[in-house]
Amino acid sequence: MTLAALTLACHQPAPPAADLATVPWDTVLARARGTTVTWRMWRGDPAINAYVDQWVAPRLRQRFGVTLEAVEGQGPEIENQLQIEHEAGARGTADLIWINGETFHNLRQADLLAGPWAGRLPNAVYVDSASPIIRRDFEQDPAGYESPWGTVQFALIYDSSRTPSPPRSYEELRRWILRHPGRFTHDQSFTGVTFLKQLMYSLGGGVERFQGGFDERTYLEGSARVWEWLEGVRPALWRGGAAYPGGVAELHRLFVNGEVDFTMSYNHNEAVTKVRQGVFPAAARALLLRDGTLANAHYLGIPTNAPNPAGAMVAADFLLSPEAQLEKARPEIWADGTVLAPSRLPAKWAAQFAALARDPRALPRDSLRKYARPEVVPEYHERIAADWRARIRRRDR
Amino acid sequence: MRGGGWAAALVATPVAVGVTYSLAAATGLAGYGAGGFTLDRVERVLGEAAVWESFLWTVRTAALATLIAGAAAVAAAVGFRGSSALDRTARALAVLPLPVPHLIAATTAVLVLGQSGLLSRIAASAGWLAGPADMPALVYDRGGIGLILMLGWKEFPFLALVAFSVLATRGAALEDTARSLGAGPWQRFRRITWPVLWRGLAPAAVAVFAFAAGSYEAAALLAPSDPQALPVLTLERYTDPDLARRGDAFVLTLLALALAAGAVLLHEWLRHRVERLDR
Amino acid sequence: MALGLLAVSAAAPFVLLALWSVGRDWFYPAVFPPKFTAESWRDLLSGERLLGATATSLVLGAGTGAFACIAGLPVGRSLARLTGWRRHAGAALAFLPVAAPPIALATGLQFSFLRLGLGGTLVGVLLAHAVPAIGYGSLYFLGVFAVFDSRIEEESRSLGATSRQTFFHVVLPLLRRPLADAFALGFLVSWSQVPLTLLVGGGPVRTLPIEVFSLVQSGQDRLAATGALLLLVPAIAALAATRLAASRTEVMAV
Repeated sequence: MTLAALTLACHQPAPPAADLATVPWDTVLARARGTTVTWRMWRGDPAINAYVDQWVAPRLRQRFGVTLEAVEGQGPEIENQLQIEHEAGARGTADLIWINGETFHNLRQADLLAGPWAGRLPNAVYVDSASPIIRRDFEQDPAGYESPWGTVQFALIYDSSRTPSPPRSYEELRRWILRHPGRFTHDQSFTGVTFLKQLMYSLGGGVERFQGGFDERTYLEGSARVWEWLEGVRPALWRGGAAYPGGVAELHRLFVNGEVDFTMSYNHNEAVTKVRQGVFPAAARALLLRDGTLANAHYLGIPTNAPNPAGAMVAADFLLSPEAQLEKARPEIWADGTVLAPSRLPAKWAAQFAALARDPRALPRDSLRKYARPEVVPEYHERIAADWRARIRRRDR
Repeated sequence: MRGGGWAAALVATPVAVGVTYSLAAATGLAGYGAGGFTLDRVERVLGEAAVWESFLWTVRTAALATLIAGAAAVAAAVGFRGSSALDRTARALAVLPLPVPHLIAATTAVLVLGQSGLLSRIAASAGWLAGPADMPALVYDRGGIGLILMLGWKEFPFLALVAFSVLATRGAALEDTARSLGAGPWQRFRRITWPVLWRGLAPAAVAVFAFAAGSYEAAALLAPSDPQALPVLTLERYTDPDLARRGDAFVLTLLALALAAGAVLLHEWLRHRVERLDR
Repeated sequence: MALGLLAVSAAAPFVLLALWSVGRDWFYPAVFPPKFTAESWRDLLSGERLLGATATSLVLGAGTGAFACIAGLPVGRSLARLTGWRRHAGAALAFLPVAAPPIALATGLQFSFLRLGLGGTLVGVLLAHAVPAIGYGSLYFLGVFAVFDSRIEEESRSLGATSRQTFFHVVLPLLRRPLADAFALGFLVSWSQVPLTLLVGGGPVRTLPIEVFSLVQSGQDRLAATGALLLLVPAIAALAATRLAASRTEVMAV
């Protein structure tokens, strides 16, 4: 029947995946020249967009003949797109994707990521592969299926003129919320769930208890403590805990307009860059909790059905280069942590990294290191996200 | 079926394709994890309280928005039905926002109706509010007030346009007769103007209801997280990281299409009745 | 007073979005922006992002408008030749793609579009936009032809012209205005579309409403307002061209 034909018509086989691991680098460069790379990444931050569109893209074009097109796409959308393209046997639409954690996990499980390829990038020798944060992505081994791009650490953000003595631990935060009803909340997306995860680790006696794979009992005990903590403060949350901003951008909006006194970010330097942009009030500062904050690396992947894997590899390699990493780390650009080990870099680059102008408002490096905690397997993230969502929707009215 | 019938069927073909695939995916014949025909997923989704809450909330919000837009359209049509410059200007102004996209109206609503939005700031400077928390929640709220207001504002020009046309073409002669027979203004309104308006607007109101219930952008920017508007819930399930839940979106799609089809049938039936009255 | 209310209500989006597009450090409780900046307009005019999206939207809009005319006219005309319940049934079928929520259409059609190799392409998105647009066009031309005096066609043919000649030299010139209106209607359908572009375009196809939507969701109010104004102005211009397209669709089809 015609209807069936239309729904199931024209099966197009996916293009054969390039032999990414073994083809000589010169061949990769040659294949990439004159092509376009579609990069699906989160486009919600103008600072990152400016870095990509105005610094990275022109250089890629000039030096490698690669035209970079960065388009919007986050974890679940990308997963859905790749999965449905695979199911329909359709041509791929993304060459490079910005991922980490649970997206990496889901794509690997569904075998939608190409690889291994990350280890053979020329700039991969500089990567700080000894770092626990880079070596493992949410406790998974990247195994060359994703290439590290940057490091970040979770931090709360507050306004030092409104809140001169902010809480420094979860217990202090709990008391603060109760003393200041309606002035704190978290968002429903990635950042908000990270906040809940951190809470779970700290209430559960440390992140070590949760390492080593997903354990249902550990999760149930851990999440029970989180629900208890949340129930204790719920009436004092913004809107009485009945509504939560959808994403971290909305939470930022609440913060700058004085509806709440805290926002949060997985980028510890977001306060610095946003104050410079005039988006946050001048007195905004980042805050690490003494219980520890999650540190994480973010990565780049190449889908199995990428139309231009060679171009994607060239782009990933350039993004990994000391030059690009240095620019990215500048406080006036993005202030994203580098994945390169200064000890492995040639002297001139190591010196430039060391001399990197530090914004006086940025968090001190040793504090960051002291309180850094690694992420654990993504199942914890997914479970706590799903259960939290179900809880707020099942509430008594 | 004559040529017209085939032509119309062609126009509806993409909808038929969409329905076919959605049926297949919802019953396990296609899509991720398809394992053969089963009604399990359909049963499960239709058994979820959250789904029905979402559906009913969406219907209620759209209905209220349509009512508000309709009432305003009637008021504008009756109030500005003359041919003076004032009347004509008013009618033009009423219709002016017709092409404003839902997205723009929603964007403006977010900036104006938020607790720290423009309305709140004006109230604060007038001394009525002490802080953003005092402002009643009009966006992301369970009542969906902000969404209803925005949809009502957006659909008003369309209904006003229809109301103006209806009064201009159908009402005039009857009213003149009534006036010459001595009927007072209230009687004329109740017996003639209102029925004419009501019948002429009914099909358009049903169409407006369908548009309001189907708007994704407006709901995504203004609706609460609990209960969710149906279009937003559909997209959320469609992109759910838990691949097994993705198929749920197709059941929701069928639900939305059924609602739309119901509205279409009602719309045509109402037009049929109006036609009969005209003869 | 009521007139004033109407005027404020109609002008509100323009004024507010204009203010938001140039305000800086405009936080609560300021009723007016304390500082102004032309940053976002400069970014707009020099950057590729919004301009590229606008260009894509213009192309899509023009194509969709063309579909609305070219496909809508013949469908509307044949529908107008039907009578009674058949016409209502035909109109109902044409109305389905119009009343169906775009998100439902998108989830239902994404797979088929991908299968046909249209995923992530401009052509694919154009065809997706055409689905509701042809429905609008058909309903609109149904209204037009329902009151079209076909005697002029009969006369032309009785004078010896063929059907084709009659259509192209007699009927079409009379339809110049409705064709422009239908084009504007189809253009508007595409110009403000979000869900169909999101799912069928899948990332590579960036239209202006998609950019504005993601800017609002990510809290970049100033840029969002700028993009929104850019989206708004051509829409109003299309109305000026359309005038009473909607009224014809509804009232005159009776």
